[in-house]
This record gives sequence, C-alpha cells and structure tokens, in this order.
Amino acid sequence: MGLTKGSPAAQCADLRSAYHDCFNRWFSEKFAKGQCDKEECVAEWEKYKACLLEHLEEKHLRNILLEAEGLSSSIKGDNVSR
Amino acid sequence: MVRAYNQEHVYRHPWDRVTTASWRKFTDPDTPAVLSHVLDVHTLSRRLDLAAGRLHTVRSITVRSPPLPFFLRRLVGAEAVVCHCVETSVVDPRARSMEIVAVNASLRGLIEVEERSSYRPHPDNPETWTIFRQETRIRCKPFKALAAVAGKVEQRCADRFQQNSVKGREFVERICKYLEAESSSSTAAAATR
Repeated sequence: MGLTKGSPAAQCADLRSAYHDCFNRWFSEKFAKGQCDKEECVAEWEKYKACLLEHLEEKHLRNILLEAEGLSSSIKGDNVSR
Repeated sequence: MVRAYNQEHVYRHPWDRVTTASWRKFTDPDTPAVLSHVLDVHTLSRRLDLAAGRLHTVRSITVRSPPLPFFLRRLVGAEAVVCHCVETSVVDPRARSMEIVAVNASLRGLIEVEERSSYRPHPDNPETWTIFRQETRIRCKPFKALAAVAGKVEQRCADRFQQNSVKGREFVERICKYLEAESSSSTAAAATR
C-alpha cells in the first residue's frame, strides 16, 4: 500500500522510461534547435498513456489525464443517454 | 498571509542545452539519488501545436514533504506526507522561451504553493548564456487553530523549497556539463573523420 501510494502507476515505469528517453532525444536534437514541424515518439507516448489510463488511480491526476483525452464528460455516459 | 520569494540563476550554457537539462532533471537515472524528495514523475498530457510551434506539457511530480511539525504530524497521522504537484509548461523554441507553472494538487486545504519559472536567453549573452527566473508563493490556509503556527510552517516550507530548488539547479548544471562534453566530443569525432 505504501509503495503504490508513494509512486502512482508504478506498473508504467518501463513504458515511461521508453517514452522519456525518446522525448529527451527528440527535444535536445530537434525541437530545442527549432525543428518543430513534426511530432515524434508518438508510439511510445500512446503505449505509456494507455498504461496510465489503466493504472493511474490518484483521483486528481487521473482527472487531468482524462481531461486531456477529452474523456471526462463522455465517461459519465452523457452521450449515451439520448 | 502569503510568503513569496524570487530567485534568479545564470547558466553559462545556451538555451537549448539548459532546457534539455531541465527536462532531464526529473527523468535522469541519477534523479532518485540526487533529488531524493522526488518520488515519481509522470507525463499526463502533451500537445505539439504545429501552427505556433509550441510544446504544451502537463506532468505530475510526486514529492515527499519535509518532516512535518509536531501538530501536523498529529493531524495527519504521519511523519511526512506524499504530495502530488502538477506542472504545466510551454516551450517555444523560436522565441527561445520555456515557461513552467507548478502547483500542489494535494493538501490544498492546508497549504497552496505556486512556483512560476522561466528559462530565457540571457540579455547580455543570448547565444551562450541562459537566465532562469523563479517566483514561489506559499500560502497556508488561515485556520484559526493553525494561525499561530502557520507562519512557522510557511517559513519551514519556504526554506525547504529553496533548498530543493538549489539542489535542482545544481543538478541541471551537472547535466548541462555532461551534455556539453557529449556535444564537444561528438564534434571532435566528426572533425577527425
């Protein structure tokens, strides 16, 4: 209990590292130097995000994740009712 | 009552290197050893605005609070608490600016911390130096029972935030040096080829 409380979504640590490694490389070699015409590390990000959606339980952080995904309203089933 | 303080630091490294180091500050393999108060960092959202050429990111940063004062320990039932912070950032590489706002998401009924930081080219030496500015505002909620000690808690938090900020700055310096060595050795290797 203590561990999961201290580090939310510990299950996603490997996918996170893969994403952050990719991101750090892209940022330093391209983006920070002004090459901002193309999004990279998309596959890494999608996998990492899917893991967070599954495992991130801390309520406030989860809301941010869902809001960013545009899922916060549809999850309440508003779209389904009529 | 709000306690606010500002700090500035000049990195003798170019903007792209310092901002790279700033991203690595929380994701480097050495982070757990150097910044032991940082328990976990997740990227919650990222959006590349292709038209404006800006990168928008939201991250969560989970930190262990400093040991709590006695009365809070009784209140919370623990010696220290885990606190989630939310960091929102915008990077504009054409304008060479990086703006970061971090706020605490936990314990907001007790304390509110807002930290605004920016990295920009140094006006005197824009190609090779970077100026880091940070404004931190800490506000304890004025519970009557806590009012007498709130000032002390604010001061303690301010001290600790400043200590951690210095640690973070030193770590960014270290990563910059590493990146510098890496880029000069690859330039040298390219030159000998």
